[in-house]
Amino acid sequence: MQHGVPRVSAAVPSEQSRQKELKKIEQYQQLVETVQSKFQAHEYTAETLALTSKLLNENPEYYTIWNYRRRLLQDVFEKELAKGATGEERDDVADQRARGLLSSAQHEILLLIKEDLTFLLPLLKTFPKCYWIWNHRAWLLQQASRHLPPATARQLWQGELALVGKMLGYDSRNFHGWGYRRTVVRALEETAQKEVEEQKCENQAGEVGTKGHSMTEEEFAYTTKMIKTNLSNFSAWHNRSQLIPKLLDERSADGATRRKMLDDEFELITQALYTDPYDQSLWFYHQHLLTTLSLKVPSKFAYVLDLTNEDRMHYLDQEIDSVKDMLDATDDCKWIYQALLTLAIQYPEIDAGNKRFSTLEMRSWLDELEKLDPLRKGRWDDWRKSLNL
Amino acid sequence: MSLVAGPGRGGSGPDQLPDELQLVVETHVKYIQSLDTRKTELEYWLTEHLRINGIYWGLTALHLLGHPDALPRDGVLDFVISCLHDNGGFGAAPGHDAHMLYTVSAVQIITTLDAWEELERRIPAGREKIGRFIAGLQTQSGTFAGDEWGETDTRFLYGALNALSLMNLLHLVDLESAVAHVQTCTNLDGGYGTEPGAESHAGQIFTCVGALAIAGRMDLVDIDRLGGWLSERQLSNGGLNGRPEKLEDVCYSWWVISSMAMIGRLHWIDKTKLSEFILRCQDHEFGGISDRPGDMVDVFHTNFGIAGLSLLGYPGLIEIDPRYCMPREVTRRVMVEGGSARASTMTAAS
Repeated sequence: MQHGVPRVSAAVPSEQSRQKELKKIEQYQQLVETVQSKFQAHEYTAETLALTSKLLNENPEYYTIWNYRRRLLQDVFEKELAKGATGEERDDVADQRARGLLSSAQHEILLLIKEDLTFLLPLLKTFPKCYWIWNHRAWLLQQASRHLPPATARQLWQGELALVGKMLGYDSRNFHGWGYRRTVVRALEETAQKEVEEQKCENQAGEVGTKGHSMTEEEFAYTTKMIKTNLSNFSAWHNRSQLIPKLLDERSADGATRRKMLDDEFELITQALYTDPYDQSLWFYHQHLLTTLSLKVPSKFAYVLDLTNEDRMHYLDQEIDSVKDMLDATDDCKWIYQALLTLAIQYPEIDAGNKRFSTLEMRSWLDELEKLDPLRKGRWDDWRKSLNL
Repeated sequence: MSLVAGPGRGGSGPDQLPDELQLVVETHVKYIQSLDTRKTELEYWLTEHLRINGIYWGLTALHLLGHPDALPRDGVLDFVISCLHDNGGFGAAPGHDAHMLYTVSAVQIITTLDAWEELERRIPAGREKIGRFIAGLQTQSGTFAGDEWGETDTRFLYGALNALSLMNLLHLVDLESAVAHVQTCTNLDGGYGTEPGAESHAGQIFTCVGALAIAGRMDLVDIDRLGGWLSERQLSNGGLNGRPEKLEDVCYSWWVISSMAMIGRLHWIDKTKLSEFILRCQDHEFGGISDRPGDMVDVFHTNFGIAGLSLLGYPGLIEIDPRYCMPREVTRRVMVEGGSARASTMTAAS
């Protein structure tokens, strides 16, 4: 699949460049053949690993080779662990664990995982949208969680958080990056919990709750940082919308604190909208806030849990006035009219009388919307019918 | 089938507009036929991991263009069968591991070629075996892994339901928990992501809405909210993007409008402008369609461009089924022959 590759002239290649291409094909095929035969023979050696590195550098989309690489590493891990399980070494292992150190098998596994993570770095930078590279990375980290002491695994996961921060710095919308970030955060929370439990087992110490390991606060702060760098980052707004209900739960926020959060978010988005009223990312978050007011919103999305109809009216009125005010400075932005009409559609859910909007006013907004946004005329026609305009 | 880009170039570039916005059917047919003759280009070998998908894209495009016999049927079938593993899964090409993505393409190709009887003759109980491979990838939570390594994604869930329903083997999986998983991927904007909590993305929306359509559970979709979000994917140049504030791309013509068709909201975008955008991405000289005007063409964008035009009602094209991205006559034949009640899950649009 070619994305964004500019066309080049389709000139017939010279004999020289044709020969050069054939030579490259031959070398590539030879490498593929060698790697395939090594795996058919189950030659799980350092040499085979190096050959897969060479091939993956040439073609990181060759998913089967990533599978081979994992099979090889798995084989090495198992052999190392089997060595450690023999009688004579058992005492050593117990000693090492007592001192909080790694067994020799764990030490080897850690080295291999670290080497592989380093191998992936330049590939990930060159091919940030290649599913297989992200997958392989996640697999390595899962192996760390499986075979290494929680504290050691946690250090590796911590490194991933820094890496994914960098990757999102290059491309703040990379959805592989955002997905991986959520995976890393989940794993960090889990390993921290495991670490505490292990200590608890050893020391038989007191109760430790899960709340202490949550990274929701940090992740929420991260979305704030990303939004401040670039308002038009729907990925960050989205993640924020997912984190806030969790954050409020973890803070054991009462009704007033929750309302304060909703007020703050409305204020933040209103300021952003004044900065760029043409940015749809912002309007989608504004719409998100309004949707959380709905009677039908699932509780996992809700910011305020005990909204009364009076509250709902208050917020809708506030937003109607605020969006209307935007018309003073900008009268050619379709999003403003669209937001007003969306509010008009939402209003009757709370106040069946709907006296807040006059038919004349709504009709004028819809006329403007049709004029400014003819692409979606079919939708506006449907609105005209359903709103009786 | 090669995924090699070019030699054609999409459109005439931003500087010179094409003389006419006609679909150059014969040129596209020749382009797709020529793809397997490019073995002297390194790119042909570097794209081997997409070979079986490439055949599905090429074959589907040819069917839509009204040239269903333009590829050698026996050669295609031989190749597909050569990708089948003992475990019932297909790899991208011989020597490539089995994975959901390639198994779905293989099932779609065999179905389009109406070759299930032939497959059964050559691989006894082959259909059942393929079905079991797919069903074996369903996880505890109802979603599906891509292969034994365990990556999960709503793409694989959709692929599983797509292929199993084409084989009339949906009973092999827990459909209810698959549907429940799709529901957990719903966002408040009406869209869907790769997993619970992930941002809405037009490609994932296609997979989730497609899965619900196949499962007969369109009642779970927030149609107006999703329709609104999808309609905002259209940009002033007529093209569609996949997420807010991203660039337009021909493949999103398909992911977005097939979803809109499934929820009966295709009239919420400007169809003429989208058709013109896709047509501007054609290479009139050498055939093929690119992601944007002026870029290199490939068979992936060629198929999804033509699929988009079919759904938009471009004259002369064979009708497409938005749930499967396959000719409607093919899915209709399978559903009727198999006696499946799934015909009742036809889209809200139809």
